[in-house]
Amino acid sequence: MNERSSVWKFGTREVVYGAIGAALYGVFSWITNVIPLPAAGNVTFRPAVAVLIFFGAAFGPWVGLIAGLVGNTLGDALTGWGLYWNWSVGNGLMGFIPGLVVAMIQDYRSGRGIGLGIFYGLLGMAVGMLFASLTEMLTSGIDINTALVGYFLPAFIGNAVVIIILVPILFVAYQAVAARRGR
Amino acid sequence: MLVTWKYRPRDTFIQRLDPRTRLIFMFSVILAITIGQIWDIRFILPITALVFALYFSARIEWRDVRRAWVFIIILVVFIIGLNALLSGRGGPAEVLSGESPILWQTPALIVPLVNWKIQITITTARAFFAITQIVRMLTMAALAIPIPYTIDPSIYGVTFRQMGLPDKASFSMDLAFRFVPTLGRDFSITVDAQRARGYEMESVKGGIINRIRRIAPLIVPVTMQSVVTGEEVVDAMDLRAFGVHPRTWLKTLHFQTRDYIMIGLGLALLVGAVILTILGYADFWVPQWWLDLGH
Repeated sequence: MNERSSVWKFGTREVVYGAIGAALYGVFSWITNVIPLPAAGNVTFRPAVAVLIFFGAAFGPWVGLIAGLVGNTLGDALTGWGLYWNWSVGNGLMGFIPGLVVAMIQDYRSGRGIGLGIFYGLLGMAVGMLFASLTEMLTSGIDINTALVGYFLPAFIGNAVVIIILVPILFVAYQAVAARRGR
Repeated sequence: MLVTWKYRPRDTFIQRLDPRTRLIFMFSVILAITIGQIWDIRFILPITALVFALYFSARIEWRDVRRAWVFIIILVVFIIGLNALLSGRGGPAEVLSGESPILWQTPALIVPLVNWKIQITITTARAFFAITQIVRMLTMAALAIPIPYTIDPSIYGVTFRQMGLPDKASFSMDLAFRFVPTLGRDFSITVDAQRARGYEMESVKGGIINRIRRIAPLIVPVTMQSVVTGEEVVDAMDLRAFGVHPRTWLKTLHFQTRDYIMIGLGLALLVGAVILTILGYADFWVPQWWLDLGH
């Protein structure tokens, strides 16, 4: 099987890990929605984001997409906040983009692997949050400055801190599990 | 920590509707307001009234939704306030063209040395624009909030399947909803196990970085355990030849007359909004008596 088809494959494995990633993302989001971590101002820290980036980087773009898209819907459903399609799509992008590195990382414990994970994680998070923030302009009639300062920047700062701290820890732990499972 | 769904079976009109109808109606209204760029409050208010009538007909208890509404109202006030401070160029706020009478103005504050003059001016048009924005945002919230309370979590998968999503993607969605209680339980067990080892969640010292690192002993075991469990689920599904043939679903959804009426209403709103926008009737509007309030 060549590298390209394995990245874009959508089989049983992707179905199951997409679902597990979504459920984890939903449950962890719900926990921090209910018991928020101390935060400064409008910035919130959601450790769930690191799990989403990890699922993308470990299992590919489709798993990341489902985990973010369905996971955000689940988290909002559990908290009772409603259904916001643009934030769900934004979260889907946040999982999809780090999924593109899945074929590039051989060793999740190596500096290169962790670096790629963090870089693509930050990129995906920035794209996803930018999408969601800019679509808010259509809904609420705010201008681009407000969208960036009010929605994008707090989300970006909080998520970036979480990604940089927690993604390496998840990668190192996953390498041990992956080696033991022989996959 | 028990993960529970917000859904309760209630015998209401909303819950008798097909979930597909609910989603199609919601997206029609969102599209009608956003793609149509309706800014005339005389067209928004009837939609708001319709949406809130549906919201109240869902009979969701106030104590259930209180947190959600408080959160949304704080967000709306924060965003609109920020927009009033920052807006000037670009974005949909450019509907505010031209001058209008001043409603309220802060005294001019001169920053020493650099001679910057800071003065916040709220014109009548800007204030009315903020009101229109608030009405629009609350209308969207009233559409979005009831969804988790009124759609059974076990039928999300089949709903999206019957709306055209492929089998595998719909099944993944279904599976995600089914995994939630299990993972919630795993999380509780992990919290208890770590506490038994002396982990203290409440008395964490140090800065924010330390606090986030302290979350790792909770999320890493749950995540890795679920990765291992996932392999077993994949094997079990492969053994049963998952994905070889098209699936059949335990529950099938059927549209009733009321569903066609609601979908028709949603689509009519969408088409109406697009026509109004094209004809130029949907632009931002301020009543004369409101303009007279300014000076």
